[in-house]
Amino acid sequence: MTILIGIFEQGLIYAVMALGLYITYVILDLPDLTVDGSFPLGSAVCVALIIAGANPVLSLIISFFAGVIAGIITGIIHVKLRIRDLISGIIVMTGLYTINLIIAGKSNVPIFEATTIFNNDLLKQLPESFKPYRVLLVLIPIVILCKIALNRYLHTKSGLLLRSVGDNQNLITTMAKDPGNMKILGLALANGLVALSGAILAQQQRFFEASQGTGTMVMGLASVIIGIRLFARIKLMSFPLKVILGSIVYKAIVAVAIALGLSANSLKLITAILLLIILLIGEHGKREKAKQYD
Amino acid sequence: MKTTMNREVITRMKHRVKRIVGHKVIRTINHIVFGVILSTFMLISMLGLAACSNDTRSTSAEADTKNEASQEDRKNESSQEAEQQSNTEKNVSNNSDKDEIFEGNFTIGISQFAQHGSLDNCREGFLLGLAEQGFVEGENLTIDYQNAGAEMAVASQIAENFVGKSYDMIMAVATPAAMHAYNAAMDKDIPVIYSAVSDPVAAELAQPNGESVGNITGTSDALPVEAQLKMIREIMPDAETIGILYTTSEANSEATVKIYEELAPKYDFELVTSGIATSADIPLATDNILTKVDCLSNLTDNTVVESLPTILDKAFAANIPVFGSEVEQVDLGCLASEGVDYITLGKKTGYLAAQVLRGEKTANELNFETISESFLYVNSATAEKLGVEIPQSMADRALENFSEIGVLK
Repeated sequence: MTILIGIFEQGLIYAVMALGLYITYVILDLPDLTVDGSFPLGSAVCVALIIAGANPVLSLIISFFAGVIAGIITGIIHVKLRIRDLISGIIVMTGLYTINLIIAGKSNVPIFEATTIFNNDLLKQLPESFKPYRVLLVLIPIVILCKIALNRYLHTKSGLLLRSVGDNQNLITTMAKDPGNMKILGLALANGLVALSGAILAQQQRFFEASQGTGTMVMGLASVIIGIRLFARIKLMSFPLKVILGSIVYKAIVAVAIALGLSANSLKLITAILLLIILLIGEHGKREKAKQYD
Repeated sequence: MKTTMNREVITRMKHRVKRIVGHKVIRTINHIVFGVILSTFMLISMLGLAACSNDTRSTSAEADTKNEASQEDRKNESSQEAEQQSNTEKNVSNNSDKDEIFEGNFTIGISQFAQHGSLDNCREGFLLGLAEQGFVEGENLTIDYQNAGAEMAVASQIAENFVGKSYDMIMAVATPAAMHAYNAAMDKDIPVIYSAVSDPVAAELAQPNGESVGNITGTSDALPVEAQLKMIREIMPDAETIGILYTTSEANSEATVKIYEELAPKYDFELVTSGIATSADIPLATDNILTKVDCLSNLTDNTVVESLPTILDKAFAANIPVFGSEVEQVDLGCLASEGVDYITLGKKTGYLAAQVLRGEKTANELNFETISESFLYVNSATAEKLGVEIPQSMADRALENFSEIGVLK
């Protein structure tokens, strides 16, 4: 049971990050490597603020905007300075490593004793039987909020424009809008979500670690593709929901790989095989639809 | 004409087949067959890999026991006196429990952060220490060993997995693993024992006075920096600058660099440090730092230690000695090291764990421990190659004198 709770906790935290990647990879069709830097950026900002005594919820919001700034910088480098998308992401990611260290002060900052959204007086009053679920009790509303907000946004005028950037740039141009600005907006929003996810993680695991961004992008991308492929047939589900479920499935795969535990070093290989199997199961769905999101 | 005819016939045939069997079915079968073939292939390769790693593990264990045998006598002579004085309680339990299996059945989950010689030694020492205290793997002790491969997210899931299975104890090797284990087990009644955490106070795993912050205790591998500096001064009386390469994201290294900065002036050394972010930075950083220093000194920095062969190659080319922080590094070709012995550290951790498992004390009541004595290792082959002379007194004092350079083998 605890393992299941753990999977949901981790899956939901990283789901917020996966939503961000969904915007850049699927909607904008733009490979964004900033993520490996903006994820720990969210953690660093959040931990620094909490140590300074800020409100945990407020620090989440500020972390979001820190990510937005990182995304805008990537966007400006890519769109205005006309540097290739991959490289502009790499530039910002590389720079953020130092910025994160400056913000956090050192490479590993614990906040075991601090008040966080998962560890406060309000939650301590919960009856004993609810205690194991307290992280989920806080997380689920946050993730649902992110999902609804993203869904709503994608149906506004600006959201519809954003969606058409990835599909047909000429359409935007004919509507007298600048596709470049829409790209910057998308990157800002995506990295904001990624940083928010990093901030939530920092509050849950109760420390910041400079190297925690490594592999974020791979993890997020896997979640997005799992979600979209595995649930390709179910039309009632919106894409953001599929991405969230994909993230949970990804974490479940890792948990199964750990539980199987043939030998400690084979963990990654088992994860890879399970990933392949899951994707092949999802392949039964509509291939045409999934094809666009490869 | 003929070819186009043929093509037409073929396409028509294809259409007919598709109509009969169904396009979708073919595709699904294709995928399933392909998937099965691929996954069996990967499974086979994985089993092979697992078998291989088992082999290497057993051989390394053999080698270790051999090493142990040769080291044990000397170690016993030198360290037993100190141990007897410092920890009478331990010795009492040592004598009474030796070779006696403790009643009961225990399961310990070991979460190791990365694959790395020092950390492996730590884990092996831990099991040796437990065995000495009557907890033998396979008899009354089950070990679930997991390695996070230096990935934070995996370390967290491993810890949660252990908590979910309600193990009797979690043992965490290296700082990130310890922090994740503490966080996961915080609300549960599972004790966490850590090892190879350089600064438990900075990681908020212990209070500044050494007392535990919760159901957690362990051992620290803080480097004996003073002894190391003294040794470097003894071997190189004319040296002025010491260079240190370290990873800026490793808290252990940052803390140790600070101690170096404090103590270096005392021995008339000037410190040159170079921070790196990933192992890919090491070749360039090494080239750069070697132009500025008289010798290099290693920390227990995971990334730097993993790339030690590269550093040693470059240092040999520049005729600059590299001092290690652990026996394995001297074996590879470092000139000498005055450092922590991770097997001993692991054993000490095992003793702590045994006290908790026996129910004598809770992890909360035990202060974290450090190793006060340092162990000297020298490599005479490296000394010869570099034209450095190791004083006879040091060569006598050394726990082991290597006569081969590991990286040149």
